[in-house]
Amino acid sequence: MNSPSISSAKGGDHAVLLLHGLSSSPLELRFLARFLVDEGFATHTPVLPGYSAGTDHQPMEQWIRAAVAEFDGLAARYRHVSVCGLSMGATLAAAVASERPAARALLLLSITLDYDGWAIPWYRFLLDYVYYTPMRSRYRYREHEPYGLRNEALRSKIARSMQKNQVSEVGPASIAMPALHEAGRLASRVRKTLKGIGTDCLIIHAIDDETASPHNARFVASAVGASFLRTIWLDDSYHMITSDNEREVVARECALFLCESAASTVTTDHPTPVVSRALARRLRQLASVAGKS
Amino acid sequence: MEVRNSKRWAARGLNRWFIAAAALCGAAVIRTALHPLLGEIMPATAFLIGAVLVEYYCGLAPACCVMLAGLCLADYLFVPPYGRIDVIDASDIRLMVSYPLITLVVITLVERLRRAQYRAELLAAVAQSRYEMLLRHDNERLLARRATEEMHRMLHHIAQYKRSLVLIKALDPATSVSPGSFMAAEATASPASVIDNAAFRASIAFGAKHSQVHQEDLARVCDRLSPGHHRMRLLSGGRDDWRPVECICDRFTTPSGEFLVLRTED
Repeated sequence: MNSPSISSAKGGDHAVLLLHGLSSSPLELRFLARFLVDEGFATHTPVLPGYSAGTDHQPMEQWIRAAVAEFDGLAARYRHVSVCGLSMGATLAAAVASERPAARALLLLSITLDYDGWAIPWYRFLLDYVYYTPMRSRYRYREHEPYGLRNEALRSKIARSMQKNQVSEVGPASIAMPALHEAGRLASRVRKTLKGIGTDCLIIHAIDDETASPHNARFVASAVGASFLRTIWLDDSYHMITSDNEREVVARECALFLCESAASTVTTDHPTPVVSRALARRLRQLASVAGKS
Repeated sequence: MEVRNSKRWAARGLNRWFIAAAALCGAAVIRTALHPLLGEIMPATAFLIGAVLVEYYCGLAPACCVMLAGLCLADYLFVPPYGRIDVIDASDIRLMVSYPLITLVVITLVERLRRAQYRAELLAAVAQSRYEMLLRHDNERLLARRATEEMHRMLHHIAQYKRSLVLIKALDPATSVSPGSFMAAEATASPASVIDNAAFRASIAFGAKHSQVHQEDLARVCDRLSPGHHRMRLLSGGRDDWRPVECICDRFTTPSGEFLVLRTED
């Protein structure tokens, strides 16, 4: 199944490039895209050759090139362009932000540098070596319960959908070995370039993410070079935070961060004022902690 | 609340295996150095301490490996007959029972504590995130309330001084509601008033007093108006009988835009 790119140009001068997970489709970011459009942003969720479901194998350099081309296309039309990714899409988004420092904000949702969550089998590291055997064209890593969802009603719906189709609204039924190998290469590359990313960065991660443990988000938070960095932890979701129980929280915080990031530019005359004394105290506290560290 | 990732508290990667290997070697070296002093007493204590330290810093799997490798090394190097593994006697049995038992108990306790600590850290991070989200939403709520109060203040101001109003001007007509809408709202409240359609669409809405203001003064304030006091000429009695009157301009920042309201001083 090959879903087409989804674009919405209702927004004003701020566009958001939304990158879905590995071998998946723009469907998994549908809720977030709709919310952002309602909040006045333009969104674009592209299908990338080699990366998205239903496309032929391509090396990860081609994934980055395609994503950067989509970014450039938006940058030609909009004043601000932000990049948002889910799962491996977040890793790809970080690679795009590394290539294009002009990106307004970088939203990393359930970023996956390592497949090390609680549902990943202990022999997962062996799959890295399987790629170098004749098995690589035959073996596919099959998704299984809980499909990244804590919401049981949605999970059973997705299980039925996975039996019928290759791709559901929370991701693919299986991932080919070459795609996993390229994803590993992409993660290695992003690990090395995180320090150079100065774009405003929002990290949202579930503490019980069954695919990528909180170590992934902690590593990014400690390594990324952004001066405006916010990390939000969720406790009622698994990996697919844009579809799970806290999807409204995720969408709202993404929109808020994008607004704050755009307002923090020097060209904007009216940044969001802080009138809450409690928030002002908290910000001073965070600033003093950052100053000491 | 169960956090299933709490068992993944230790950082992944090869580093922890290198640390475990270094701890094993360190324990072997220290025990070898102490061997002339200790002899066959406490053959595996150094490995026990090494395994517990590795458990604390690197996790369960490296600690178990250190324990098993330590058991073999201790039996081979520090249990008589030294340097032989094929002879199993009472001291070997004592070592094989006591060392793994004590080490496993301690490692298990440390593992449970580390998981509980990691779980607490994660839940604290969630609580902190929620607190910060709450503060941000509280800030938004206060901003909205402040804006609403400012709008009420302006509407009250217009209603209070409707007979002395000269004009209402939008500071940014592109993003503001037309000032005429406030005059229209006020007009609907009083049956004698008339809604001026032309003014309704413009960025400036004129009030009841504007027809008495000298055209030059009116043009000046329409062009440049700032909050504060202004002196303007108002028609008094007969024709061309102008007298200077003090006027006050107030500024209102509302959710519908920023407005300047000019009125004559009572």
